[in-house]
Amino acid sequence: MDFRGAQRERILALLAERGGATEGNVRAISAETGVAEADIWGAGHFYGLLRQDGPKTLVCDGLTCMALGAEDRKAALLAAGHDCAPSSCLGLCDVAPAAIGPDLAPLAADDRPCHLSPNDPELPINLSGPRSAAYAAFARAKDLGPDAVIAEVAASGLQGRGGAGFAAHIKWTGVRGQADPVRYVVCNADEGEPGTFKDREVIRQQPEKLVEGLAIAAWAVGARDIYIYLRAEFERERRILVDAIAKATAGPLGGYVFHMVRGHGAYICGEETALLESMEGKRGMPRLKPPFPTERGFRGKPTLIHNVETLACVPDIILRGGERFRALGRKEAGAKLYCISGHVARPGIYELPLGVTLDELVAAAGGYVGTPLVFSPGGASSGFLPMSERGRPLDFGSLAAVGSMLGSAGAVVLNDTADLAQAVVWQLHFFEHESCGQCAPCRIGTRWIHGAMRHYLHSGDPAALGDVADVAWEMAEGSICGLGQIAALPLTSAVQHFPERFGPRPAAQE
Amino acid sequence: MSDSFDIVLNGERHRARTGETVLRVAQRAGVHIPTLCNDDRLDAAGCCRACLVEIDGQRRLQPSCAWKAAPGQVVHTESPKVRRHRELLVSLYMADHKLGPDGLPLHTTQGNELRAWAEATPHKKLTQVHAPRAARGPDANPYVAYDPALCILCAKCTRYCDEIEAVNAIALSGRGSETTIATAGTRGLLDTTCELCGGCIDVCPTGAMHAKQAPRFLAKAVFEKVRTTCNYCGVGCQIDLNVHQGKVVQVTAPPPGETVNDGNLCVKGRFAYEFIHHQDRLTTPLVRRADGQLHPATWQEALDTAAKGLLRVKDKHGPDALGFVSSSRCTNEENYLVQKLARAAFGTNNVHQCAAT
Repeated sequence: MDFRGAQRERILALLAERGGATEGNVRAISAETGVAEADIWGAGHFYGLLRQDGPKTLVCDGLTCMALGAEDRKAALLAAGHDCAPSSCLGLCDVAPAAIGPDLAPLAADDRPCHLSPNDPELPINLSGPRSAAYAAFARAKDLGPDAVIAEVAASGLQGRGGAGFAAHIKWTGVRGQADPVRYVVCNADEGEPGTFKDREVIRQQPEKLVEGLAIAAWAVGARDIYIYLRAEFERERRILVDAIAKATAGPLGGYVFHMVRGHGAYICGEETALLESMEGKRGMPRLKPPFPTERGFRGKPTLIHNVETLACVPDIILRGGERFRALGRKEAGAKLYCISGHVARPGIYELPLGVTLDELVAAAGGYVGTPLVFSPGGASSGFLPMSERGRPLDFGSLAAVGSMLGSAGAVVLNDTADLAQAVVWQLHFFEHESCGQCAPCRIGTRWIHGAMRHYLHSGDPAALGDVADVAWEMAEGSICGLGQIAALPLTSAVQHFPERFGPRPAAQE
Repeated sequence: MSDSFDIVLNGERHRARTGETVLRVAQRAGVHIPTLCNDDRLDAAGCCRACLVEIDGQRRLQPSCAWKAAPGQVVHTESPKVRRHRELLVSLYMADHKLGPDGLPLHTTQGNELRAWAEATPHKKLTQVHAPRAARGPDANPYVAYDPALCILCAKCTRYCDEIEAVNAIALSGRGSETTIATAGTRGLLDTTCELCGGCIDVCPTGAMHAKQAPRFLAKAVFEKVRTTCNYCGVGCQIDLNVHQGKVVQVTAPPPGETVNDGNLCVKGRFAYEFIHHQDRLTTPLVRRADGQLHPATWQEALDTAAKGLLRVKDKHGPDALGFVSSSRCTNEENYLVQKLARAAFGTNNVHQCAAT
């Protein structure tokens, strides 16, 4: 309950500006905004970047970075005098093991261009292609009219590229059909799924495509205000985007108001309703659905939320037609930005037909390094698959069929130098750390299952994993949101495909 | 949509009204669904997950506390999937809870709904998770304490403090397994907006929020609840005196919906009961006799003495020499009687009530 005139939406940004959720900051911001102190404190202490005591060098502890030597990197940084703190995936898997400085910019050693698909005008996003601020697709969308635009998106078969793969046009139709005249368009740029860095690269290379996709979406659903929720660690990308928006709104997109909202270090805010809560200045705890955001989203108004990549596909769909986009895919529609990192020659972002196999993806990335053992097709949430699945199409349906998921298409390959059980612990640590803590199956389950796996590694006794299947079932069935529902998957999938690696093992040395 | 319609609960048709939740329909129908975080006065949070049920056409289990009934909806509250969910959920809760020597959630004076649920539900013994849930630091307030080892994070206390009292002294803080109930700066409650109403204690299902001055782990069977009216002001809040061995050990609010105060109390009604058994408390009228000392007397003697004294003043100096001030602890009815006494019996308008200034 906020008192009349309270300005809750400002509090997180104010905390960030002033250096975090300290007692003094909380008191001052409460006086300024009219929001209760406890609420500011509680919201602030939800976010990793607001609760830490001062800016630090953040060392990534995502799967790719850990597999490629994050521990050594951290030791070297500490030795060089850095004040280090661990961070969940920083979205820099292409330069793993990665770290960013207290200014949230990559350290100089990590500051190198990402491997990308070569320039090809046939590709919808074409990361290596020239940038254009012509906004021709927006002009064409206006000629077509909203219904025809939505029909084109429907014809394209575009599925949400954030992870769920939900048909995009259904959301557009849903928001457009609402009685409430105030609607919002929100861009989910809180990229944080370990192994994923494609949205970062879209903003770096083709920010105009994102901006144009947002404007087309806003025009089609009847919104004026557009919000971009960008993770804080993408500071450079923020500047690129702000610049592109300034130019666009001074020109052809002048009718729209773009608002930049910064994340504050919470993976769960990539979940769309947690993101909305965060935009409203609250703890990033996912909402119960229904109601869905298309009906009651930001500020309770109809809201269209899409991932960066989804929106960046829209200009091509409008310019060259939905059917053409659809035909770029195999079993499912369109081209897709695949992230690939880990033990491969050229980790990077490759725009390929939706439904390529791992082997095709890795071929684009210069081939495997060493003998591949295991891969994670779509980020931590997709669990692990054995190399016998290297020929399986990497699309939403084909991966769901084996209990995995395409997710954000953040593929990670580990070769036979990796200890799979150790890799599982890294993933489970991530989910325990990033659980919002709202519902018991996830809050307790992620900690329990992480603890069981650590106990197994420590003792070498598989009995530690005896109750995993039951706990994992409850997490999957009982959790509110997708995080808890899949958080046991790194372990259960690894045990399913590699049972021999979860037998008795030597107890860890003290 | 018509105003009311039928839904099917475990194979039987039951009447539901538009806007009602499945939980509400089930409660009216006498179908038990466990809950921990539900309170009809609060917005549904759906976070404890105890009340999940199976609804035909829904891929996932859904929280009945938030799920709106719809015409023809088919709901299962005892399906194998729901039962398995409950058994594993209660097992997980127990892995994150202080257990007693009997291996069950600790019984507290306020009861422990988790214990009651565990007693009634088959469950597994899972390894304890030892969540890093922080307590508050030193807190000098005399009334309210928080024990994180018994907390299930249902957030009823914080939501009550927010949605009912609009005080917002406590809030969820931290994230994941570190989530806890905190104040700004983890300060003691006296240094917050807290009004020490103690509502957080009444809504707590497990006794994590508890009254400092009450015994913590008294078996429920050994005390009785005596419903009475709070005599601190004229509102007429009903309170339950929790009596153990002839002594009031705690005051609780009657359940919401039963009395005028709807489950709420203020600091005085809830915590200021120590006078009841105080050695200085007067338990019989005293009259000052000729020796100048106070002596125990009957009510008849005391009232006669007071009446005679008042009439003597009136006869000697007139009615306006008298003034009547009633206590803020009088009820509305008692205040009415005081002014009646002043005006009708003694003939003066010199009457006041100390809380009126």
